[in-house]
Amino acid sequence: MARYEMDIWGEMCPIPLIKAQKKLKSMNCGDILILETEHSCTSRGIVVWANEHGYRITEQEVTNGIWHLELTKTHA
Amino acid sequence: MHWQPPRSQWKLNLGFMVFLFLLFVVIWQISSRIAVIFGLGIALGFTLQKARFCFTSALRDPLLTGITQLSQALILLLALSVLGFAGVAWWSADQNIPLILNIYPLGFHTIVGGILFGVGMVLAGGCASGVLMRIGEGFAMQMVAFIGLLVGALIGERSLDLWRAVFGEIPGIFLPEILGWFPAIILELLALLGLWKLSRWWQRKQIGG
Repeated sequence: MARYEMDIWGEMCPIPLIKAQKKLKSMNCGDILILETEHSCTSRGIVVWANEHGYRITEQEVTNGIWHLELTKTHA
Repeated sequence: MHWQPPRSQWKLNLGFMVFLFLLFVVIWQISSRIAVIFGLGIALGFTLQKARFCFTSALRDPLLTGITQLSQALILLLALSVLGFAGVAWWSADQNIPLILNIYPLGFHTIVGGILFGVGMVLAGGCASGVLMRIGEGFAMQMVAFIGLLVGALIGERSLDLWRAVFGEIPGIFLPEILGWFPAIILELLALLGLWKLSRWWQRKQIGG
């Protein structure tokens, strides 16, 4: 149950998702990936992508315009 | 991460709404036409922001991640536009208001422009409306993209005659004029239904489920 954090501040829309996809491959089942972004559509896109793939994800707007995401790798 | 609820912005929201209303009233004194366009623009921007709609994502994600959720939304949007536009056309004919149609001729430059715009919008992380919407949200990076958009649009506008002269073009096609309104609408909706089925199939194939 490791927790990883990834820096995606200021990254444009598709890049955070590609980075997350890569990072997820190297993670074990049950590991959690924490992402924070100031790009609303990035947050939305990652949530949709995680839901479609059946990963557990929580999205929280921690302050105005900052989204905090916790992605759990629930399956391989 | 200790969780604090986001600071409420209702005072700012209220202030801005009052400002917009006063601006609307001022514009109305000058021209009711511009005021209506202004109101529609505000409504569109509001909807776009709340819906998190992204044309870039709708066209990019099927290839990048295999997710076609927004592509399906875009197809629905087009279907609604077809019906809405038919309604406007029918109403304007009924009221004897001439309809101004933006039917552009097609040429090689259409394809070149489309590819250039597509590459630009994926790199910039937003299309024209998306960039404007996110500048409004306060996403400063998109202001750089907006400058690029202005420069590109200016170059495109200035060089259009050159493109036309070099590559030639075929006149624009307006289906209702050729087929009649009813068959044209049916054909368009069937084509969109086909695209929708295709996007569903694509997502199933890409990620399963």
